[in-house]
Amino acid sequence: MSSHQTVNIVMIEDDEGHARLIEKNIRRAGVNNPIRHFLEGTAALHYLFDAPDGPARNGPALVLLDLNLPDMSGIDILQRMKASDSPLKRTPVVVLTTTDDKVEIERCYDLGANVYITKPVNYETFAQAIRQLGLFLSVIQVPEPEVD
Amino acid sequence: MMTRQRRANRVIFLAVAAGFVMLAVAAVAVVWSFMRSQDYSDLVSHTIEVEAAVGDLNRLNERVEVARRGYLLEGDPRFLQTFERTAAEIPLQIERIAGLTADNRSQVERLIRFRNVTQQYLTLVRNSIADKQAGGTGISGASLLDEEDIAVVQELRDISDAMAIEERRLLVVREAAASRSVYLSTVVAIAAAILLVVVAAGTIWATRRTLRALTTTGVQLQDLNDDLESAVAERTSELQRANAEIQRFAYIVSHDLRSPLVNVMGFTAELDAAIKPLNALIDKVEEVAPEIVSDETKYAVREDLPEAIGFIRTSTEKMDRLINAILRLSREGRRVLAPEAVDMNALVSGIVDSLQHRVDELGVTVETEPVPTVVSDRLAVEQIVSNLVENAIKYLKRDRPGRITIRGKKANGRVLVEVEDNGRGIDPKDHERIFDLFRRSGSQDQPGEGIGLAHVRALAYRLGGTITCESVLDQGAIFRLSLPTALAPQQGSNT
Repeated sequence: MSSHQTVNIVMIEDDEGHARLIEKNIRRAGVNNPIRHFLEGTAALHYLFDAPDGPARNGPALVLLDLNLPDMSGIDILQRMKASDSPLKRTPVVVLTTTDDKVEIERCYDLGANVYITKPVNYETFAQAIRQLGLFLSVIQVPEPEVD
Repeated sequence: MMTRQRRANRVIFLAVAAGFVMLAVAAVAVVWSFMRSQDYSDLVSHTIEVEAAVGDLNRLNERVEVARRGYLLEGDPRFLQTFERTAAEIPLQIERIAGLTADNRSQVERLIRFRNVTQQYLTLVRNSIADKQAGGTGISGASLLDEEDIAVVQELRDISDAMAIEERRLLVVREAAASRSVYLSTVVAIAAAILLVVVAAGTIWATRRTLRALTTTGVQLQDLNDDLESAVAERTSELQRANAEIQRFAYIVSHDLRSPLVNVMGFTAELDAAIKPLNALIDKVEEVAPEIVSDETKYAVREDLPEAIGFIRTSTEKMDRLINAILRLSREGRRVLAPEAVDMNALVSGIVDSLQHRVDELGVTVETEPVPTVVSDRLAVEQIVSNLVENAIKYLKRDRPGRITIRGKKANGRVLVEVEDNGRGIDPKDHERIFDLFRRSGSQDQPGEGIGLAHVRALAYRLGGTITCESVLDQGAIFRLSLPTALAPQQGSNT
């Protein structure tokens, strides 16, 4: 698992409670990668693309993305990341949101989202889903970002 | 305005009809006066004929006299022949005049007198002729004749003159009548002609007026129709917009409500999980050093915390169900309806089959009567009927065997589906309320959130239908679903 140690998990989630629950359950699944949490889109975009320690400049990453953000839609972030000239176009994005609208789901996959998960309201199911996601994350191979 | 128009139309109609009636009367009058003047001219010619006949009779009498005198003076038998021939003609002529003047009593009387006097006169004449033939001089006869004869001949002349005068008088009267009749006919004809012109003008005017009014009305109707169509289109789009707004609102609200709920439920679970180590700690402390743990602490950990968590849990779960119900309703409202011919009998029997297990369990009798086919959205109709039947099974009365009847019929271009049960019934004051979201009626001994009938009503409205309830408490209920026979295909919004 040494190669996975360097993968940063970037969580863009405006609800602190959700973020805490997601983090707790990911940790319970045995995933110990560092998690960077952002409450709003602007700061997250800045970190993703411009921060010296961000994924675009420094090492592989995996993004957990909520669609309902206070300052922008998660779709916008997804679009920016998956644009053809983006250094992060191969970075896996897991959309984790309450929206279960069919059209929205299709749109995210069309834009290049790797996984789309609807947050179950029932906590047991939610916890289980996140733990399974953690298991998934522990085996997934993440590419290095394209450094120009 | 309508009644004024109608009154004007009636006046025009009556005027035109009266005009035509007057025209017909005028035509009859013209014919009648023509026939009358014909009669008068007949009478005039009749009078002239009588006058001529009287003249002829006089002429014959004169000729008899001339023949007799000739014979008496000359003794020539040719005079006798003339006399006899003429004398034979006289009665014939009298009869002819009698035939012509049979209608005039004074003339008839005169004619009778004339006939008698003629008889007398002819007898006298014959006597004088016989005397002459017998060889006499006839002078005595002549002198006799001169006495009696002059009086008789004078009388004959007087009578015939009177007859001629009478006829002349009649002629004058009848000619005057005839010319008056011609004058009258002319007047009537002119009046009829004027009337004809007036009626024709009136008819043309009325027709033109009606046509113009008709054209104006047509144009107005077209305008109104256009206005109405655009108004309907506008109102429809407004309604669609409002509906879409509500759907979107319901969707957003239910989504945004879910987020905090995830936290409430999640951290409640975390709390619940935290109780376990606490409990273990209390257990251990009780075992090792029971004096440091107070009853209050034990009670808080073992009773208060689990109870609080339990209430939070059931409440949030209920809230979750309600939110999900709103979400489902809003999603149902956004679904594009796909009208198709739905075999309602198959649909109903499918629903009954799917509920067969519970039907058997509860010993319910389900009767299905034929339901007409309807063109509508299959899924929505199925959800409605299925909800109604499920409710009927759910709210039966325990102390009597359940009986559920599903039937349908066509009425006024709509299909009526009835689901009748003999269950516990619904208080009439709740008949509207039960269709509201989260509202229920009667004793709350069955699980449920008060969503089913709200869902049913929302679906029925979407299908252009209505749903009503007829029920008396404890006497069962009838739910009536009225659907249009054919639902028009529609462009549903997918936003």
